[in-house]
Amino acid sequence: MTSMGAEIRQGVGRAHLTMHPGDNVTTLLDSRHEITVLADGGPVAKGILFGHKAALAAIAKGADILKYNVIIGRATRDIEVGEHVHVHNCR
Amino acid sequence: MSTIAAEPRPVGGHGDGGPGLAFFSGYHRLDGRIGVRNYLLVLSTVALTNRWAELAVKDHEAAVALTGDFLRGLRGKDRALQEDVLAKLALHPNVGAVLVMCFDRFSAERWADRLSDCGRPATVLAFMAQKGMGGALERARTALLELDGRRREALRAPAPLSALTLALECGGSDATSAICANPGIGRFVEILIAAGGAAIISETAEFIGAEDVVRERAVSSEVAERILACIAAADQRTAEDGERYRGVNPTRENIEAGLTTLVEKSMGAVCKIGGLAIDGCLDYAERPSGNGLYFMDTPFFSPLSLTGMAAAGAQVTLFALGVFNPSGNPIVPTIKVCGNAGTLETWADSIDVSLSGLVDRTMTLDEAQEKIAAKVASVASGSLSRAEYWGEGQVIIPKTTAMI
Repeated sequence: MTSMGAEIRQGVGRAHLTMHPGDNVTTLLDSRHEITVLADGGPVAKGILFGHKAALAAIAKGADILKYNVIIGRATRDIEVGEHVHVHNCR
Repeated sequence: MSTIAAEPRPVGGHGDGGPGLAFFSGYHRLDGRIGVRNYLLVLSTVALTNRWAELAVKDHEAAVALTGDFLRGLRGKDRALQEDVLAKLALHPNVGAVLVMCFDRFSAERWADRLSDCGRPATVLAFMAQKGMGGALERARTALLELDGRRREALRAPAPLSALTLALECGGSDATSAICANPGIGRFVEILIAAGGAAIISETAEFIGAEDVVRERAVSSEVAERILACIAAADQRTAEDGERYRGVNPTRENIEAGLTTLVEKSMGAVCKIGGLAIDGCLDYAERPSGNGLYFMDTPFFSPLSLTGMAAAGAQVTLFALGVFNPSGNPIVPTIKVCGNAGTLETWADSIDVSLSGLVDRTMTLDEAQEKIAAKVASVASGSLSRAEYWGEGQVIIPKTTAMI
């Protein structure tokens, strides 16, 4: 449950932390908003703020949003890989 | 009373700070508890006497007024809870002497009975027994001078980590709360509990979604069932009032900081129990029966939950921040812990412990724990926390019944 086993990814791409290997969202941990690649190589939309989440895979409308390997909500519309995941597309 | 410790000795890491070692320097009360402050408290037991209390402490530097929306005319459970909480605050280990201000003679008699064997300097005054506002103030001043003299007879003496009961709280949660402040606090609380101390977590609604964690961590199925019943009741209340919960919890600040749902927020908040088992479930303001980690059933806004944990005897609060939150309690020093670099820069004068190194990996969790331990030892021994310096915090007691 605790996140401390998870590794914070840092490098050329944006620093981010995926709480559990099974999660489909990752938390961005820097403010380099212009960069469109994650430190581990995946895509990320421009402009996602520090502490906000990006989708690690395409998520269909109605599918679970997983963080900490726990269902924190459901997609209220189709979400693309790298897209910002927040109250506009997750409930 | 033995000699005063020159310097507190903070714990150095795992296995240190056992029950016999001095961790801080505190006031040993007759009931066996140890205070980290020696407040001269002026408790206004009802809002009608708040002005009297405010004026009385104006020309007494050491006195702390505790004034709230405490009411006559409360009914049933609310009346009993208000009486219970105020009595527990009057006799809190951080209180060295107390002046209790009542409105009428009848309630003053009840308070005098309650405090007759309390083991510390206490005076009860009835407003309606005074002669004019000037006379009432003069009487309060005389009482404060006398209480202050007796309060000062208490001296600090070495005390072990096991003497501490900590309130654990979070506010302004963001993504860093789950990776910095809460896990750092969790690691320190593991050491506190191993040394024989106690800690209280609260805010029942913030466990909505973390039910599996409760089942996994509760020391027995009985404790798990009690906590789960509290969570289910909170969940039902939020559904019943017809108001959309989103925008209330997670709050607007939480959402701006990136937290989307209550379950996501709950999962971060629960990091502050580290790898510990939950040893018991407490009613609002109930005192823990001993060593261990306890869950207390409280509303989720921090002034109410902090009041409940203060009444339960917590001497210090560890408060995890993401974005800033000016919470505290008038008689329980609050230590603000934060891992968000932006918040730390903007609110540099209001936060005690920076754990932002956990984000860029320039700090380990054990180093975070040591920073928290050192701050707890120094604040417990008398140095002011930032929340104390700014005088943050208030006492608010929850109410469940409509007023007549």
